[in-house]
Amino acid sequence: MADIFSATVIVATLSSGIRLAVPLLLASLGEAFGQRSGVLNLGVDGIMLLGAFGGYFTTLKTQSPWLGLAVGLGIGLVLGLLSSVISVSLLAEQGISGIGVYLFGLGMSDLLFQKLVGTPLPAASFQKAPIPLLSEIPVVGDLFFNHSIPIYLAFLAIPVSTVIINRTRFGMNIRAVGENPEAADSQGISVTRVRYAAVTIGGVLAGAAGAVLAIGLGIFQQNLTNAQGFIAIALVYFGAWRPLGVMAGSLVYGMVSAVVLLLKTRGIIPLGASDLAAMIPAVITVLALVVAARRFRAPTALTKPFIRGG
Amino acid sequence: MHTYRKPGFARLLAVLAVLALIATACGDDAEEPTTTEAAAPQTTAAEAPEEDMPEDDMPEDDMPEEDMPMEPLRIAVVAPSASNDLAFTQSIVDAVNVIADENPGTEVAITDGTFIVEDAAAAIRGYAEEGYDLVIAHGSQYGGSLQEIAGDFPDTAFAWGTSADTLGQPNVSAYNAASDQGGFVMGVVAAALSQSGVIGVVGPIEVGDAKLYVDGFHNGALTGGASTVNINYIGSFSDVALASEAAQAHIAAGADVLTGSAQMVVGAVGVAQANGVFWFGTQANQTALAPDLVVASQVYKWEVVLRQIIADISAGSLGGKAYEIDLANGGLVVEFNDGFDLPAEVRAGADTVISGIVNGAINTMEAMAAPPEPMEPLRIAVVAPSASNDLAFTQSIVDAVNVIADENPGTEVAITDGTFIVEDAAAAIRGYAEEGYDLVIAHGSQYGGSLQEIAGDFPDTAFAWGTSADTLGQPNVSAYNAASDQGGFVMGVVAAALSQSGVIGVVGPIEVGDAKLYVDGFHNGALTGGASTVNINYIGSFSDVALASEAAQAHIAAGADVLTGSAQMVVGAVGVAQANGVFWFGTQANQTALAPDLVVASQVYKWEVVLRQIIADISAGSLGGKAYEIDLANGGLVLEPNPAFDIPPEMFAGINQVVQGIIAGTIDTGAN
Repeated sequence: MADIFSATVIVATLSSGIRLAVPLLLASLGEAFGQRSGVLNLGVDGIMLLGAFGGYFTTLKTQSPWLGLAVGLGIGLVLGLLSSVISVSLLAEQGISGIGVYLFGLGMSDLLFQKLVGTPLPAASFQKAPIPLLSEIPVVGDLFFNHSIPIYLAFLAIPVSTVIINRTRFGMNIRAVGENPEAADSQGISVTRVRYAAVTIGGVLAGAAGAVLAIGLGIFQQNLTNAQGFIAIALVYFGAWRPLGVMAGSLVYGMVSAVVLLLKTRGIIPLGASDLAAMIPAVITVLALVVAARRFRAPTALTKPFIRGG
Repeated sequence: MHTYRKPGFARLLAVLAVLALIATACGDDAEEPTTTEAAAPQTTAAEAPEEDMPEDDMPEDDMPEEDMPMEPLRIAVVAPSASNDLAFTQSIVDAVNVIADENPGTEVAITDGTFIVEDAAAAIRGYAEEGYDLVIAHGSQYGGSLQEIAGDFPDTAFAWGTSADTLGQPNVSAYNAASDQGGFVMGVVAAALSQSGVIGVVGPIEVGDAKLYVDGFHNGALTGGASTVNINYIGSFSDVALASEAAQAHIAAGADVLTGSAQMVVGAVGVAQANGVFWFGTQANQTALAPDLVVASQVYKWEVVLRQIIADISAGSLGGKAYEIDLANGGLVVEFNDGFDLPAEVRAGADTVISGIVNGAINTMEAMAAPPEPMEPLRIAVVAPSASNDLAFTQSIVDAVNVIADENPGTEVAITDGTFIVEDAAAAIRGYAEEGYDLVIAHGSQYGGSLQEIAGDFPDTAFAWGTSADTLGQPNVSAYNAASDQGGFVMGVVAAALSQSGVIGVVGPIEVGDAKLYVDGFHNGALTGGASTVNINYIGSFSDVALASEAAQAHIAAGADVLTGSAQMVVGAVGVAQANGVFWFGTQANQTALAPDLVVASQVYKWEVVLRQIIADISAGSLGGKAYEIDLANGGLVLEPNPAFDIPPEMFAGINQVVQGIIAGTIDTGAN
C-alpha cells in the first residue's frame, strides 16, 4: 500500500494518464475549433478510426511511424472536408450527419483492416525522445520530458490554438460565425469558408488523434478507439470550448483512468468493485461537465446551419 | 529467443513435488480401485497456499525419493509383430513415440515380433526386472503369462491389451479399442461404394478388437444396404498367405469391397490392389499399401489411454482399471484417403454416422433397419462481437466453424462479426433464424437476453449460446462454455517458475464468463507455483485496447515480469509486454504472432469439439436444452507452447504432469 506513493509509481501512473489523455486532447481540441464556428461534428470517432487504421497500416508497411502519422493527418483532412461538405454546404442536420461519418469510419476502418492486414500484427511505434537536461530532473523530468515527440506536439498545440482562436483574425472569424453568422456575413466574412476551415482543422486533429493512438499502441483492432471520439465531444463541453479547458478535461479523464488502474492493480480497489471502478472516469467527467455547464454557454449558433438570408 | 532461468525451474520442481505429494495422498485414498472411478479425492489450490509450503521449506534435495517430480518415464513395449506392420503393433509403437515426444526424457524400449508367447513372457519379465516404470504387454494372447509376472513385481505398472480385464491384479491396467465403432462407419461407406452388394471381411481369430471390428463392419455394411457380407476368420494373426487367399475367395464370391483386421492382412490388401477392389483398413493407416484403393482406415491412437494410465501411475495408482479408446475420446479416428475420390454425399453420410455413434443414437452391435439419412449439408451462422481474426474470442469460434465446414463438405457458413452492439447482434441472430439456418451461434455472453426472446420465436431453429452454462430454459438453445481455468492454472504454474520478481500481472476485461475462469485459474496456478503476488486488473471493457495497454504498464510498474490477459482488447497489452521484455501467456487463440519472442504459450480454444456434439444432437432430433464444455480432457482446450521460446524438456515434463493431474482430477484449479 505504502509503495504506491513512491516516486516510481507516481511517475508511472501520471505518465500513463498523459498517454491516455493525448488522443482525447487532440480530438477534443479539433472538435473545439469546429464547435466554436458553430458546427457540431459527431463523426470524430469515425475520423479517428480511419486515421488510426491509416497510420497503423502505413507504419506496418513502411516501418516509419512518422509517415504513418502523416497519412493519419491526410485522412483526417479528407474526412474533415467531407464533414464540411455535409454540414456546411449540404446543410445536413448536424446531430445525424456526424453519426453517418462515424459509422462510415467504423465500418470502413474494419473492412480495410480485414482486407489489407487480417490478423493483428505488431507495428513500429514512436520512440521516446527525452529532452536533454530537462529529462534528467528527478521525477519531473521523467514525468514531463521523457515522452515521444507526438505527445510534446499535442501539448504544444494547446497554446498555439489558444493564440489562433483568441489573437488572430482567423480565430476572431471563427468565433464570429459561431456566435452570429448573419452578423459575420454582413461584415463580409465568408461563413462557409470559415466553417470549412474550422471543421477541416477538427478533422486533421481527429485523424492525428487516431494515428497517435494506433501507432502509440503499435497495433490495430476493430473499433480501436472504443468511443474515445464521443468522450472527446463531451470534453469540449467540459472544457467550455477553450483549448486550455479541453486539455484540462482530457488530463482529468486520463489521470483518473490511470489512478483507477493503479488502485485495481494494487488490489486497493477489490476485484468485486472492478466494474464499478471502470465507470469512475466517466462519472467524474460528467460531474465536472454539469458544474462547467453552469458557468459557460455554448456558441450561440452551434448546430445551426447558415443560410444566407434564411 | 529467451532461455529458461534456473531459479525459476527450481521453483517449478518444488511445486511439482508438492503436486506429486498431493497426488500421492489422493492415490492412497483411492485404495480400492474400480473401473468406473473417475477421479481421486481432490485438493484445491486454496488448500495449498504458498505460505503453507514455501519452496524454501521443501528443498528438492531433502525430499524423499517417491515424492520427487515424475522422473523421465521408462516405458517398455512387448508386441507380437513388427513395429512397422501398418497394423496392431505399429499402433502401440506410434502411440508410445507420441508419449515420448510429449515427455522429453522418456526412455522407450520395444521388443517386437514376439509372436511366440513364451518369448514375450521372457521379455515382459526382463523389463520388469530392469525397473521399467510401465511395461506394456500388447497382445491379448499374453494375458496368462502376465497374470503370473505381475504378481512377482507388485511395484511395477503393467498395461495389457487389447482386453477389458485387469486380471485381478492391482498393478495391471487393461486397455481396449471400441473398434466396432470405426468398423460400423466404414461398413456403411463400403455398402455405399459396392456395386455388387457383396462385401468380404478377412479376420484373424474371433477375439478381442478384431472381432469387435468385424462385427461393427458387418452391421454397418448391412445397415448401409449391402446384400451380403461374407466373413472369413482364417484362424491366424500371422498367416499372410492364407489371408491373401481368403481375399481371393471373397472376390471370387462377388465381393467388390474388402476389409480385414490384424497384421496378416497386408497380403489381402495386395490382392485388393491387384483386382481393383476397394479396401478399408483398421488399426493403422493402410493407405500406403494400396494408395488408389484404400478408401479409409480406422487408426488407433493408443496415446489417449496411455496418457490416462501414466497420469494414474503418477497419482500413485499402478493399475486395476480398464481403459478404452473410441470415437468420442479421439482414440479412434477414421482417416479417409485423400487420394481416393470419395463422393461428398458418402463422406457426409459417414460423418453423420460418426456423430450418431458418438452421441449414442447408433448402436454398432446391431444392423439398423434403415440406413441413417445422410446429413443434409448444414447451414451454420455465427454472430460474434469482435473481428473474425482478433486472435482471441471471435477467432476461436470462426476457426471452429471452419473446421466443421471442412469436415462436412457442403456445409454453408455465414458469419456476422464485429457486433459489439448487442442490438446489432440480435438483429443478425433473428435474421439468420428467419433465413432458415440450421444452427445459429450467438457467440457472446452479452447476447443471452436477446437470444432468450428470439429463440422462443423460432422453435424449430437450433441456437447455441456461449460462453455460458445456461440454456436459458429454452429447448432449442444449447449452451457452451470453456473450462479456461484449466489451461490458466497450468500456465500460472509456469509463469511463477519464469518470474524472477515473483510478481505477476493479469489484465482482465469484465469479471464474467470464461475470462473470469481463466483469470481465477491462472491466479491460483501462479500462487501454487510460488508467485508471491498476482495482481489482477479487470479494466471494465472487452474492447478498450488503450486501457488494457495502460493496465499492462501499471502491472510492470508494480514489479510484474510476467503478464497474461484474456479477451480481444489484450492485443495492446501484448505489445507492452514485448516493449518491456516481459513474458506473456495467451488464451483463447494462439497469440505468438503478437510477440514472437516473449509469448511463452497460449491456451487455444477448439470449439469444434462441442460443435460436433451439438450438430450430432441436432441430427438426432434434439435442438438444444443441453450444456457443453471444452476442457483439457476432451481436447477442446489445447496448450500451444511457442516453439521459438526455449522451454527446457524437464519443464515440459512438469507442465505435462500438471495437465495430466487436472485431467485425472487430482489437481483442482480452485476456480468456480
